[in-house]
Amino acid sequence: MFLRLVADSFGRRPRRKLLTGAALALGMAVVTAAFSVSLDVGDRLAHEFRALGANLLITPQADSLPLEIGGVDYRPVNSGSYLPEQDLGKIKTIFWRNNIVGFAPVMEVPAEVLTDVSTALQAAPVKTTLVGTWGHHPVALPDARNYSTGMDQTNSWWHVDGRWFQDDAPEAIVGKSFAVRTNVKPGDTLHINSADRSIALTVTGILSAAGPEDDAIVAPLQIAQQLADKPGQYRRLYVSALTKPEDDFARRNPTTMNAADLERWSCSPYASSIAYQIKQVLPGVDAHVIRRVAEGEGSILTRVRSLLWLASFAALLAAALAVGASSAAAVIERRSEIGLMKAIGAGSGTIGFLLAAEQLLLAFVGGGVGYALGIILARVLGEKIFGVAPEPSILVFIIILALAACVTLLGSAIPLHRASRYEPAPILRGE
Amino acid sequence: MPDRKMFWRIVRRLFAAQRGRLLVILLALGASAALTAALLNLQVDARDRLTKEFRVFGANIIVAPRDAKSSVAGVATLDESVVQKVRQSLPPRASADSYLYLVASVSSANSTEAVNAVIAGKRTEGINRSSWRSAIVTPRGNKNLCLVGVKAAEQLHLQPTDQLTLKNDKREETCLSEIDDPHGDAQDSQIVVNLDAAQRLASLPGEVSLIQLSVAGTPRQIRDYIAMLAQNIPAADVHGLRQFTDAEAKIYTRVSGLLTATTMLVLALTGLCVMAAMTNVAMERKNDVGLMRAIGGATRRVLRLFLAEAALLGLAGGIVGAAAGLLLSIWLGKTVFGVAARPRLIVYPVSVALTILVAIVSSYPLRRLANISPASVFRGEA
Repeated sequence: MFLRLVADSFGRRPRRKLLTGAALALGMAVVTAAFSVSLDVGDRLAHEFRALGANLLITPQADSLPLEIGGVDYRPVNSGSYLPEQDLGKIKTIFWRNNIVGFAPVMEVPAEVLTDVSTALQAAPVKTTLVGTWGHHPVALPDARNYSTGMDQTNSWWHVDGRWFQDDAPEAIVGKSFAVRTNVKPGDTLHINSADRSIALTVTGILSAAGPEDDAIVAPLQIAQQLADKPGQYRRLYVSALTKPEDDFARRNPTTMNAADLERWSCSPYASSIAYQIKQVLPGVDAHVIRRVAEGEGSILTRVRSLLWLASFAALLAAALAVGASSAAAVIERRSEIGLMKAIGAGSGTIGFLLAAEQLLLAFVGGGVGYALGIILARVLGEKIFGVAPEPSILVFIIILALAACVTLLGSAIPLHRASRYEPAPILRGE
Repeated sequence: MPDRKMFWRIVRRLFAAQRGRLLVILLALGASAALTAALLNLQVDARDRLTKEFRVFGANIIVAPRDAKSSVAGVATLDESVVQKVRQSLPPRASADSYLYLVASVSSANSTEAVNAVIAGKRTEGINRSSWRSAIVTPRGNKNLCLVGVKAAEQLHLQPTDQLTLKNDKREETCLSEIDDPHGDAQDSQIVVNLDAAQRLASLPGEVSLIQLSVAGTPRQIRDYIAMLAQNIPAADVHGLRQFTDAEAKIYTRVSGLLTATTMLVLALTGLCVMAAMTNVAMERKNDVGLMRAIGGATRRVLRLFLAEAALLGLAGGIVGAAAGLLLSIWLGKTVFGVAARPRLIVYPVSVALTILVAIVSSYPLRRLANISPASVFRGEA
């Protein structure tokens, strides 16, 4: 009988139920979309922040003081220490290997350059710096997977007119001010002398980096190694990693932590714990977090995230109000029905239970439809804003169903409570 | 005009007759106005705040010598008249640091031998808000202070407040050292001194290597400012530090898109909420409408009556709600950005107008009542 009553209530007045259900579905759709996007936004923005480039800098532990101005080291080649290039694959073996977006080793060599034009004019060679690095270099990983990385990943703001050099060819790209100064175009040949070694490179592109590299030559690392006579070595390594904003816990010193804390610390992708792990796999290095990048990123990410959570909660509140109001209306409407049921002997509890069951059914159907709609909405939003749709999450689904049930019940509670006190007689008389 | 008098009298009566129900609607309208105002204000404020927040990255514009005769550091320099020009065109919330770089040999009382290090002479113009971690303490006045990067300090076996001697050719400067916080980049191996001291040391009076500007603004404003500066200072090369300007522009677009989207969604929802409440009222007005029509009220006049009621409700809810919402957003701004959101006055009338609009639009179901025939209402049907 109970089920029949419920079924009848839906069957008889489908339009009214549809309206309440639609309000519910719409509200829940918006909440679903807001939550899905908010859940996803941390990851998405963390990826966007990698446009800032490296957030970790690896240098030799026992090193002389770098004479570094604006990112270029002006030390002579034979001063300071170097690191072995062959170890670099190990970076992709640390616990947070999948958070390593890219890395690029760097070695600078002071160089004297003769271009085709200056040779013809018998002009003096131009002094500049040759930056040896990886453009897009295959890395031998211990598990024999293919992986390649380099400056095109860590310094994504570098624009190359033409193409990047091939890492195994005698090619180079030249900074745009250097190109203007020496009148070099892609396709030209540069004759580079450093100390007593010399090498000829083909220019493949013009680099605009908005940095000191604009006035330098960027070439494959092995060219720099040849010129400096330091085979298989590099001076600095830039690592770009996806990290979690640092909190007080992240700043603690790992050497003074107890085992449980250390485990928790290493299992959070803080910039400092990734630096610590890199230090463990690469012997003889110092790994620093580039504070300017990491902290700026962290503080902005935290703010944006809390801002979006706030907006999601506003959406939640609005949805709760809307759904609550419409379910309240649905109960108020049925006063005469309630009166009649009471008149023929139904107790307040039974009526409350009946109405609550109807509302719950509506909540689950409406919530389910709302979730589906919300996922579509979230996809549209995600693709429009980030170009990537957020993954639908089961957690959100459960939250949405629970929320829909809660809100409809709360919305009906007050009118139901009142209904339980109705005297059947006046209602039946139509008063 | 007695007609009008009657109209308003009925409206007054409408309010008086159903105080309880109207209070609920007023509450709904007020809540939606509050939410609208708070979100709109926060949205406007958050964009602004975000552009300021980006300045934790430090400088985003570089003024460098145009014609680098040689890329070896410290040779190509700018005249300080350029700094003057930059200072004059500095927008209100910006700072400019001029730097002169040179390599000098540094020794301290404790170090056995001198170490070559990069000396950065620095002077700050404007308010320095690039407060990422340690807004570098600029050495002040004649008390020659120098800020030593952690790596440099380590090489020199430096204790805080040790006396440092900087030597370049035959020129010499002494300063009181102070060890900087770790930065993780080139600054860790530099020693920051007063610009004048660096100029004396390099024997380059009135010259700087480059100027770094930290200017807050939307990506567009920054682009315009760079273009303006480049035009004002043809002698120098003005460019954005693309590592930061690019990323900032990208993130700014994303975040402001997200904010707009969520705000829109919430606004749509609050509209829905009000609509649900208003529809109920409309339904209950069936009898009134039937009666009014029966005694000769034209459909349009009856409708006008209810629309006026809705608009008044919207106005009242909006005025109270939007004010509450602005207060709310001030508090929310404080929780998110740590700084109270500045209430924008434009938000207030906009949210009041939106609330009235929503109230009127949600009375749309009243239209249906226009078709009710008075007779059926009296018979108790429909």
